[in-house]
Amino acid sequence: MNIGASSSILSLIIFLPLLFALVISFWPQRQTLRELALGFSLIQLAVSLLLLRDFDSTTAALQFTEQFTWIERFGISYFVGVDGISLMLVILTTVLMPIMILGSWKSISEQVKGFHVALFVLQSAMLGSFLAMDAILFYVFWELSLIPMYFIVGIWGGARRIYATVKFFIYTMAGSLLMLLAIIFMMRLTPEVTGGAISASLLDFYKLEIPFIAGDFFTPQTLLFFAFAVAFAIKVPLFPLHTWLPDAHVEAPTPGSVVLAGVMLKMGTYGFLRWVIPLFPDASSHYAWLFIALGLVGIIYGALVAMIQPDMKKLVAYSSVSHMGYVILGLFVMNVYGMGGSLYQMLNHGISTGGLFLLIGMIYERTHSREISKYGGLAAAMPIFTIFFIIVTMSSIAVPLTNGFVGEFLILMGAYQYSFTASIFAVTGVILGATYMLWMVKNIFFGPAGEIVKASEHDPEHRLHDMSKREIAVMLPIVILIFWMGLFPNTIMDYSKQSINHLLQNKQNYSLEVK
Amino acid sequence: MNISIGLADILLISPVIVLFLFSLIPLTTKVLNKNVEQSPATTLVVALMGLGIAAGLLILFGGSDQTIFNGQLLFDGLTKWAGLIAIVSAAAGIVLLYENPSTPYRQFSEIIFLALNSVAGMLILISAINLITVFIGLELMSLSLYLMTAMSQEQKLSKEAAIKYFVLGSIASAIFLYGVSFIFGSTNTVNTAELMQVAAQTIQADKLFLFGIIFVVIGFCFKVSIAPFHAWTPDVYQGAPTPITAFMATAIKTASFAAFLRIAATQVFQGSQNLVDVLQWLAVLTMTVGNVAALVQTNLKRTLAYSSVAHSGYIFIGLITVGLSANSAYSATAVVFYLLTYAVMSIGAFGILSMIEKSENDFVTVDGLAGFAKKQPALALCFTIFLISMAGLPPVLGFFGKLYLFGAAVSEGLIWLALWGILNSVIAVYYYLRPIVSMYMKPGDTDVSDNRLYASTIMVIASAIFIVVVGLFSGPLFTMIERSLS
Repeated sequence: MNIGASSSILSLIIFLPLLFALVISFWPQRQTLRELALGFSLIQLAVSLLLLRDFDSTTAALQFTEQFTWIERFGISYFVGVDGISLMLVILTTVLMPIMILGSWKSISEQVKGFHVALFVLQSAMLGSFLAMDAILFYVFWELSLIPMYFIVGIWGGARRIYATVKFFIYTMAGSLLMLLAIIFMMRLTPEVTGGAISASLLDFYKLEIPFIAGDFFTPQTLLFFAFAVAFAIKVPLFPLHTWLPDAHVEAPTPGSVVLAGVMLKMGTYGFLRWVIPLFPDASSHYAWLFIALGLVGIIYGALVAMIQPDMKKLVAYSSVSHMGYVILGLFVMNVYGMGGSLYQMLNHGISTGGLFLLIGMIYERTHSREISKYGGLAAAMPIFTIFFIIVTMSSIAVPLTNGFVGEFLILMGAYQYSFTASIFAVTGVILGATYMLWMVKNIFFGPAGEIVKASEHDPEHRLHDMSKREIAVMLPIVILIFWMGLFPNTIMDYSKQSINHLLQNKQNYSLEVK
Repeated sequence: MNISIGLADILLISPVIVLFLFSLIPLTTKVLNKNVEQSPATTLVVALMGLGIAAGLLILFGGSDQTIFNGQLLFDGLTKWAGLIAIVSAAAGIVLLYENPSTPYRQFSEIIFLALNSVAGMLILISAINLITVFIGLELMSLSLYLMTAMSQEQKLSKEAAIKYFVLGSIASAIFLYGVSFIFGSTNTVNTAELMQVAAQTIQADKLFLFGIIFVVIGFCFKVSIAPFHAWTPDVYQGAPTPITAFMATAIKTASFAAFLRIAATQVFQGSQNLVDVLQWLAVLTMTVGNVAALVQTNLKRTLAYSSVAHSGYIFIGLITVGLSANSAYSATAVVFYLLTYAVMSIGAFGILSMIEKSENDFVTVDGLAGFAKKQPALALCFTIFLISMAGLPPVLGFFGKLYLFGAAVSEGLIWLALWGILNSVIAVYYYLRPIVSMYMKPGDTDVSDNRLYASTIMVIASAIFIVVVGLFSGPLFTMIERSLS
């Protein structure tokens, strides 16, 4: 199958999950529901791999674009396209989907149908926001992604799920409404560059030259910059806007945590890369110090808080705050190492944190406890599980040969180029990261047998089974990706190289060609 | 004055005549039939036929930009669209009434009589360009409504609501009329078309005229529940039978706002910056009061009542925009579009409440929805759609309504007002989410009062489909309304 530039593969990628959701919601058999959903997600993955195959990585231009008028009166169009910045995030989304479905095989037992419908709608919304090239279309997908996530946490979550999901929803919505106002305002400016017609196309937004005066906060570019930046910073989440994340992560069911950490947080960092930096270059450079500083605070604060967590899921949630701090740091140092590393780190974090949440979900299914102090000596009872857990931990703390190393190393190089001081703080975060993760591994798997392992030895009912074939199948792709991306980073980075270079070289008058 | 009535006058006024004639049919039949009520289904069909024919006539002749009866009534795009919204929402309200347990079927034909006459009043109100005629329309609409509010047999709150509504409504009408007399005294005319040419200058020169305008604005602010004239809204919305509340929140609000729009379109506000400032603060106050008060409500009807106040605040932003802009067709379209959006959402939301209520004394609370999603997945999904739409979240109609409304405000430079509206939407999300939490995430066994509420079910589902489908393809509808308004 050859896909030409004029084909509609991107629409297929966005709307196929919606179609799947529809089929699932009318599927009569309960028993085959999971198999069906898994099959669908594999089809979706295959389609996205076709996109990967036909993607031209030698250009920074926008590819596979489709544009149809949607609301003519306001120049709003259905406009989608993919380039080096969004391609890998699309693939990440489609890769994680079958893993999540397989991972939730046992843990989701109620309202299975509704769960998979929500998951597919969520996937569609996330893919849509990565591919949308029209401001309103982007906003629609961006907000749409909140609704299924709200249900996933609220219905299938833990004890404090309602508090967590409402907090998540209101936090994210509050940020994005300011962005909506900024979008409306920018649409009103577009007649300057389109020759009279109002437009919501991102390509027209790029052409705008929005007035900027350094030092004066109340200039259009600065205000618009912050309206967008706050929306994205909440999603990332950037310190001090991160407080919704630990709650949402802890209360969400395992697949919810995976999709939250794996993909949804990346919508925020993607937003910086696609919207904030190219649209408001002056304000971005002028206020870069602020975001770098907050990123650094997030790295160290997240790590310090993670150190004292008794709950393993909460520990990983705070480690997310720390890791996403690196991504922001890399973006705002604005050099080729930092930005390339950031984009890579987005993928790494999706894979390694997603993997950790899946593993924690597996152990929780067996013991119904996530308290680190109750464990100890688990390595003897569950050797395979231990191996997987340690591999993913290594990726998370950026040990060489794993993917995490590549991303963090590049970001640290970028930070060093920007300022020596910044890199010192950033490196401290790496050390702290190793400390709390290894502390957790030590306390769960090694040392004297803890309460849970003891109980399993005496009581056949509580016997701990090692990973099943299904669980190995869930984790195997993640481990393969960890090593693949650690050993052959260029195979992934080549796709985004042109786009990153193009952005850095033409930051002041950024524009995207359409191929 | 030479009054002659031609065929054109009759054709254009025909929807009002049809409504009046159809309102008499059930009542006359009842009287001829020795005061025995015929079957409610027959009455319902007659009422819906009347509304349907009126809507058809309005579509046929309504939007022709002609004035009739010597410039009393103007049949333009606004009359057509606002009239249609009012008629369709009234029809929906009547359908709900037919299946609501609190409806006294022994008096069904009287209620239908009142409802159809109220709609006739709305059509006069919407089309009137003479302030005296506006008053006639307003009273015909409101008097019928006061009685309908008191309709419930056992529920004491219903009587209390009706008295409150009547007393406050009458005072508001009096203030309105007083203002009209000032305007007449100052300019020698009460015709908005003539006022348009002089209003902006006169308001600067003549304090009497300024007071007249202020009084007229207050009268309307009461009708559309703009704070601080909104105090009646929660009590009346709660006390009235739910289908009547739906009628009130949709048809009455649309008609009142349409007439208010005509006052704003005279560009009278452009003459007085102080007045514009005050109106902007009223909009801010209304949105804030509505949303903040809604946060603490547990009774869902009260929640929706305060939410209705907040929505009035959003629409009021559009109204101010219309008053300020030189080319107001776009802003007016945004207002009409939002009225349509709000009408459909409210019909759906009140429809769901009406279906859950078991008796007259049964008020649905937020917690009272627990488990509804398990019992009635389709209806729970519909309710979710209505609430999401009211909260202004994409991709449904409410989002696009707000987008157009705030877009109009931004293009007139009212960025702070739009910002305030948007911040208010965040507060609002909290209370719109609560029923969803209750339906989906809490254990319970809430169900509809009767599984055979076919008409209501169809209507609620149709509203939900409308919200989603028209939401996704709102462009053509917007262009269509704008074309007929300009």
